Amino acid sequence: MITNAGGGYPPRMPSSVARPHTGASVLRGSLGAFRGRLAAAATLFCGHQTGEALVPVLVGVVIDEAVGTGDPAALIGWLALLGVDFLFLSTCYRFGARQAWHADVHADARLRMQLADRLLDARGGAEAGRLPGGLAILAVSDAKRVAIVSFMLPLGVAAVAAVAVAAVSLLTISLPLGLLILLGTPPLLWLVQLVGKPLERRSGAEQERAAQASGVAADLVTGIRVLKGIGAEKAAMAAYVGTSRTALGATLRATRAEAGFLGSVQLGNGLFLALIALIGGRLAADGEISVGGLVAAVGLAQFLVGPLQVFGFVSARLAQGRASAARIAEVLGAGHTVGEGDAATPHRTPGGALTLRGIGGGGLDRLDLDVPAGQLLGVVVPDPAQASTLLRYLAREAEPGSGRVELDGTPLGAYPPDLARTHVLVAAHDAHLFAGTLVDNVLAGGPGDRDLDRVMAAAQADQAADSLPAGRDTEITARGSSLSGGQRQRVALARALAADPAVLVLHDPTTAVDAVTETRIADGLREVRRGRTTVLVTTSPALLAVTERVVVLESGRIRAEGTHADLLRDDAAYRALVTG
Amino acid sequence: MTRPENDHLLPVADGARMRAVLRELVAPQRSRAVLALVMLVGGAAVSLLTAPLLGRIVDIVAQRRGADAVTGPVLGLVGVALGQGLLAVLGVALVARVGETMLARLRERFVDRALHLPLERLERAGSGDLTSRVTDDVSVVGEAVREALPEFARAALLIALTLVGLAALDWRFLVGALLAVPIQAWTARWFLTRSAPIYAEQRIAGGAQQQQLLDTTAGLATVRAFRLRAQHSARVRARAEHVVALAMRVVRLQTRFFGRLNAAEYVGVAGVLVAGFLLVRGGGATIGTASAAALYFINLFTPINIVLFQLDAAQSAIAGLRRIVGVADLPDEDRPADPARPADSRVRARGLGHAYVADHPVLRDIHLDVEPGSRVALVGASGAGKTTLAKLVAGMHRPSTGWVDIGGARLEDQDPEVTRGTVSLVTQEVHVFAGPLAADLRLARPAATDDELRAALDAVGALGWTAALPDGLDTVVGAGGHELTVVASQQLALARLFLADRPVVILDEATAEAGSSGARVLESAADAALRGRTALVVAHRLTQASSADVVVVLDAGRIVEQGSHEDLVAAGGPYARLWSAWSGLRGPGTGETR
Repeated sequence: MITNAGGGYPPRMPSSVARPHTGASVLRGSLGAFRGRLAAAATLFCGHQTGEALVPVLVGVVIDEAVGTGDPAALIGWLALLGVDFLFLSTCYRFGARQAWHADVHADARLRMQLADRLLDARGGAEAGRLPGGLAILAVSDAKRVAIVSFMLPLGVAAVAAVAVAAVSLLTISLPLGLLILLGTPPLLWLVQLVGKPLERRSGAEQERAAQASGVAADLVTGIRVLKGIGAEKAAMAAYVGTSRTALGATLRATRAEAGFLGSVQLGNGLFLALIALIGGRLAADGEISVGGLVAAVGLAQFLVGPLQVFGFVSARLAQGRASAARIAEVLGAGHTVGEGDAATPHRTPGGALTLRGIGGGGLDRLDLDVPAGQLLGVVVPDPAQASTLLRYLAREAEPGSGRVELDGTPLGAYPPDLARTHVLVAAHDAHLFAGTLVDNVLAGGPGDRDLDRVMAAAQADQAADSLPAGRDTEITARGSSLSGGQRQRVALARALAADPAVLVLHDPTTAVDAVTETRIADGLREVRRGRTTVLVTTSPALLAVTERVVVLESGRIRAEGTHADLLRDDAAYRALVTG
Repeated sequence: MTRPENDHLLPVADGARMRAVLRELVAPQRSRAVLALVMLVGGAAVSLLTAPLLGRIVDIVAQRRGADAVTGPVLGLVGVALGQGLLAVLGVALVARVGETMLARLRERFVDRALHLPLERLERAGSGDLTSRVTDDVSVVGEAVREALPEFARAALLIALTLVGLAALDWRFLVGALLAVPIQAWTARWFLTRSAPIYAEQRIAGGAQQQQLLDTTAGLATVRAFRLRAQHSARVRARAEHVVALAMRVVRLQTRFFGRLNAAEYVGVAGVLVAGFLLVRGGGATIGTASAAALYFINLFTPINIVLFQLDAAQSAIAGLRRIVGVADLPDEDRPADPARPADSRVRARGLGHAYVADHPVLRDIHLDVEPGSRVALVGASGAGKTTLAKLVAGMHRPSTGWVDIGGARLEDQDPEVTRGTVSLVTQEVHVFAGPLAADLRLARPAATDDELRAALDAVGALGWTAALPDGLDTVVGAGGHELTVVASQQLALARLFLADRPVVILDEATAEAGSSGARVLESAADAALRGRTALVVAHRLTQASSADVVVVLDAGRIVEQGSHEDLVAAGGPYARLWSAWSGLRGPGTGETR
């Protein structure tokens, strides 16, 4: 399972040195990964734009050389050339678009994978403070918005080229007209940028609100059984309508800004066209340029509206892309909750002696505990918060506030997290079952199907499977909600047993299981884990009865210890606690 | 890879239903929609003045009327620019307002219907299908409403008006231009028939991707514990790669589509030029008219492409819309014509049976009576049918055989809302709703005052820790907020139960996932929440059973024993054996019998 753990880890390095992620670096990385394709796309798009710019020019020539002269041969010749131009521009677009689109969709998938890999990082920390639904949106919608910049960038470059070609054509027709275009365009572009800026801010806020509305919708759908149970569909709906209206308000404010932007672009382009018509018309009236030249100039000016609108469009998408890139950067750059350990830590099979020295934090008070290799230990923690803290430390989900956990004398923190979890597996009581068949889930954490029947029997998961329509091959849907609590818990327990770690920590593994089945599980567990270190964090008398030793944690320290039988006989508080 | 799931997906609306729902949505703001349309038509008409004004300049040049004569038409162009800009601002803003408002209403209706979906249905479809509709599809439709719709309308208007202008110059120019139409029509047809199936596949792949991302992001702690990173990474990658492959198929199709449109453009412009050539040579038109005609047609390139390309955006928007409407349009719950009302809180079940899969019954022939105000405990092995029985009695699932009645009225004869107003069900499903704690509690009683909320929290023993939260009742809890322990979450569930204040309460393994140490805290909380109500409790800790009025023992979907705790213990049957295993008697004595 962790064969890559050997040489794959980079040398130890404090996590604070991790490469910082900013919106700009995310965007740059996304574009840089497909440099070659983007360059090819930009070149081909330039060819396309040149071809497009030549269309009005050639139409002007047809009017001057054929329509004006009435020469059929000239008509055929120039129309043929126009045809070649169309063929050229069409071919350039076809292959340019394929290159740009390739960069776009692959950049999209790449960002999604980067996010998934960061979220899946063994050191954790990326999901803190975020809804699963919100994270899914981030990996879909925001990734898409960043990736589309890959398509927009070559378009923008080609638009620049188109303006250049048009200007050169115009310069050949007339120097003053050409200069007008060359000098008039930059201020126009600057104005477009200026108007586009506030849109970036608006767009960010809008997406935040819209994401919130979707997040709330996803949250309600996730909790739908709870809502139905208390007949709260109406109340939930009323709450959602509130969120939805707020999101609508934000969207409308953003679209008003967008409409203003679009109107300004149209106004700017229209005025620019009027200016060209004025100068061009006067030149033609004075006989400086031909009628064909004027037609071409006006056609080019109209053609220019296209690339200029592309600037507006591209800058708006760039603004959205930047806002999304910043959101993605936040997740990619989130701090890790635990260190990455030291790859040089000896890689031998551990004996399984677990030692806790002076563990503090989260309600624990300099806790010392020794679990000899091979022992089956019961840990009774009346305070759930303290139990949860202890389990998080053992699972390497958090660093202890003070003290350390050692495995065979080696600090657990010295192991890379994956290796630590291979040796010390903490099976949470709310463990998640994933999409796939029941047996896929059981085998997910284990070395193979060698012990499958044994662990299925020990966890009574075989019995759970038998009551399902497709047995072990039953598909698990939506986090196992198609299974009963008891079935889910037994499948999760079988998975933990199949993983066969040196130290197995089980947190309340049988709370949803009936008393008879629980007793059978306790016996099965003792058999399967014989000679392997096992820690049972529970107050169930059925499970505690099979342990070799029990410790009772109160106020963060060990208050009592002994065998279950002795404690049950001698310790009234213990008796009340486990059988109450 | 998503094929097996397809049968389970939620419904997709047909075209007629979709249009009907849209008409319904636009109705409340009809006048605003008309105004938006007027603005768009106005904008198109104004922009159409550009070509004649330029034609005027050409004529001025051809007629050699001097440079100053150009000023008039140029001022006209300035007017056009101003009008166009202003009308664009108003038109786009209005269209967006109409469209976004419709979209928000549709989204709300969607969530409303989604919340009323029968549980069986929802679980089969998976929550990813639903969330992908509410996020992805809403965003695609939103973009269409915001960008494609106004653009499409403007371009279509422009084309219509330009063709009229071209005919006004000389009908033969129009003939030349129309040569392109057969190619365009054929191309559009060719494209749409090929793109539709790919788009459909794209949506499904998108839904599957979303489902996978939700599955992975919601279970990150488990992924870490079992080191399933590589597997999940591979799953996300596989979904992403499928999406990429489909996108590349789409782009290949699109670029071939544009190639054909370029050919049509060439045919059209050559047609107009040849018409001009013939007309000028025959003396039927001046060279200025021929120039104006050519300019007109060149100006049509962009709007025609917009219209044809938006067919594509329209198609994806329609696909998304149909998926949204499919859910939004689900029928409201069945309401009996003459609903029966429960007279009291007595619960009865007769001949009750249920099978999730045909011929695989999990519950058979259940006869059950719960007296008003009494407490019945359900006991049995995992999978014995306790949860199913609880769901049937709560009206969450419809029984395959037999019936349930509450207060003398059968559930199927009751208005579902009345049933939900009578029965509460708390399951082992722990969910804290994202948002302020008070908002979570008010889901159960929207009008509750802060004092009532505190009283409910106090009753379930949660006042202590809630008061210690950073912002008290306003603390943001749930995913993304302040993380609550399982016990605290279950206490909240019981506080909601308390606030909902229903006469009949069903508690299904409510303490199961809390862990045994929290169980006792929750038992007393549940006790408080159940006081004075008719209760059916699925008991795992047998202490819960021992305090009930009646204990019902289920095995393999049948009732095998029922009676009071004392009677059953004395009877020495299955319950008595369970009780001795539980009560710790196995401790000092039996613990040694290895």
